[in-house]
Amino acid sequence: MLKPEEMTRALVIGSIDSLDATIECLYEQGVLHLIDFTTPDEEFKLGQPLAKASADSQKLLKLRSMMRTLGIDEHRPKDKLMVSAINVRLEQALVTLDLNTTSKTEAKQKIQALIREKEAEIRALDPFKNFGLAIEDFVDYDSISSFIGICRHDPSEALAEKIKEIEIFKEVRKADVAVAVFVKNDIKPETLRILSEHDFQEVKLPKLEGDPKKVISTNQGQVRDLQADLQRIEADIEKIRKQFADFIVSSEEHLSIEVMKEETPLKIATTENSFVIDGWVPKSRFREIQRTLNARCGLLVFVEAIAAEKEDEPPTRLKNSKIVKPFELFINMGSTPKYEEIDPTVMLFITFPLFFGFMIGDLGFGMGLFLVGLVVRLKMKGSPVLKNFGTIVMAGGLIASIFGLFVYAEAFGIPFHPPPLSDEASWESIGYIPIHPMIEKMNDVNELLALSMLAGWVHLTVGLVFGFFNNRPHSLKHAIGKIGWVLMLFGLFEETMVIAGDATFTSKFINSTVFFAFPVDFSMGLAGIQLSIPALVFIVSGVFTLLVTEGAFALTEVTGIFTNLISYARLAAIAVGKGGMALAFNTMLFPMIFNAWDSAGAIAISILGAILLVVAQLFFVFFLGALSAGIQAIRLNYVEFFLKFFEGGGTEFSPLSYERKYSVATK
Amino acid sequence: MALDTGTGLALIGAGVAIGVAGLGAGIAQGQIGAAAVGATAEDPKMFVRSMIFTVLPETIVILGFVVAFFLYGLA
Repeated sequence: MLKPEEMTRALVIGSIDSLDATIECLYEQGVLHLIDFTTPDEEFKLGQPLAKASADSQKLLKLRSMMRTLGIDEHRPKDKLMVSAINVRLEQALVTLDLNTTSKTEAKQKIQALIREKEAEIRALDPFKNFGLAIEDFVDYDSISSFIGICRHDPSEALAEKIKEIEIFKEVRKADVAVAVFVKNDIKPETLRILSEHDFQEVKLPKLEGDPKKVISTNQGQVRDLQADLQRIEADIEKIRKQFADFIVSSEEHLSIEVMKEETPLKIATTENSFVIDGWVPKSRFREIQRTLNARCGLLVFVEAIAAEKEDEPPTRLKNSKIVKPFELFINMGSTPKYEEIDPTVMLFITFPLFFGFMIGDLGFGMGLFLVGLVVRLKMKGSPVLKNFGTIVMAGGLIASIFGLFVYAEAFGIPFHPPPLSDEASWESIGYIPIHPMIEKMNDVNELLALSMLAGWVHLTVGLVFGFFNNRPHSLKHAIGKIGWVLMLFGLFEETMVIAGDATFTSKFINSTVFFAFPVDFSMGLAGIQLSIPALVFIVSGVFTLLVTEGAFALTEVTGIFTNLISYARLAAIAVGKGGMALAFNTMLFPMIFNAWDSAGAIAISILGAILLVVAQLFFVFFLGALSAGIQAIRLNYVEFFLKFFEGGGTEFSPLSYERKYSVATK
Repeated sequence: MALDTGTGLALIGAGVAIGVAGLGAGIAQGQIGAAAVGATAEDPKMFVRSMIFTVLPETIVILGFVVAFFLYGLA
């Protein structure tokens, strides 16, 4: 539960003739994590790909390029195809596809290019079509220069004023002015200066001849014809797509698997007549792999377990029961634990929903979240990540409902019973619910804070204990350092409980049980703060332990453990904040909803109020509340808890295996 | 309700303690947050590490909260 799956190092040795059968068998089993062979020498060389590898990868390449040209990268076939059917059809289908798609897609590209060209010509000529000049007239002459382009403002007045001998053609358009200006060569710079003051941009006209209007209309006709051609070709391609899409995607999957298998020898040590596959196998399945390989390849293959060496780093495969497993999502978002490390998934399974539930703490919103989680879980079957996410939301929602029902006694931000000394709205107006709150969310803030501190102390102590066990194998000194932290934390927690004194039920309870040996009055006052002497002793002995084990540098982090503990106050803060927000919306909008209802206008206002309330509660309290509670609950785990013990950086267990989604293996 | 000046000052002090601490942490966290989002976009596995960096300045607010809490107790 707290440890990853135990691994055995396995050597599979055999005759080179049985290599393909062995690889096939290993992929089917899906339990061997291959250690790549990277150091060839005189005796052992890297293996050669199996015979069919080159031909198969060529076919695969063709299929993939076809997927791109046909635009079916994202296509998901409905039915699975038998591998035998793929093999029978593949060769012929590739030829047919090659003949049809290649020529068609080439033609399509050519037509598209031509359309672009014609359209560019139309765009270039269009501003100047009404000037009454032929296209070939818009050029520089021996003694006359031309400026053809677009200005942002009309330059004609400025030009006519400054330059005498000039001919200007212009057309004022929506946002700019098209101009063609002809001047003598010697006043070219002057003209250009005036034009650029009007944001002149030159337009390069296509090298054509004749009336621009005519050219444009001819081009438009051509574009229409080309588009018709394009449609025909696209219809043809669509036909091919419909006919072959399923087949192409299924065969692509099958060939990918084949090529992957056929190229596996590249990571294996081989000699002229034999091969050695080195890898990790879960200990519980070692016998199984041994038996299967022997049954399949007889005496040609030999499987042996070898003792792991100290510097070996086996891959990590988290081992958790079915209900805890979805919470591995939180581990996968970060780093894989090392093989020897403690797998904290089970702690996440406990603390995440608990923290989340404590913060949301509302029967109505809790049930809502449970339903949202359920929908995500049921709808997102295709994505394991989202499915797990749904399960986690369900767990959080469930615990939030339980907190809402039994601890805070409220639903949708409305308490079951009006709080003492308040005329706040409650469910009593609808019906009497025989459950009374253990904690008044809005009034017993101190109680919530004390509970948060308790949660923090337990959580951090578990983290430090994990740290002790993670460090023990390689450094007893660091492990004992963790005990120093535990002592300090114990002292700090006692101090917070002493300060709380009898003010909260939690601190009273803790002081009389956990700290029964250290009476509260065993303390001294310092700057208005009541300091517990036993707590001081614990903190000082913790600091001393730390000094001995971790060195003086660790002392800089001593305030860290204090802020870590106080950091859990966010549990109370979010619970109160979220409750307060719900209360605020209810208080503002209830008078609007429950008005006199004596006229149509009043009823309309009532309906408007109800809509506003639903929107506000849904967005601000339900959605944002769940988001912030979720983030804080996971943050307390990642930052406060994980940093006490978690190193990560392990290798994920990824065995030789494949998954067929669109094809079915046949013998 | 009527408050004496000392209590009022203590309460203002509590407000300043947590308010200014929050402001400081916010400024720091904003910049780290932007970088962290960038890092996570490059490599989703950076999420946890980015989160740890992002929440570092929160220590300031926590200490501000403690000061405010004690001042509130004095008031």
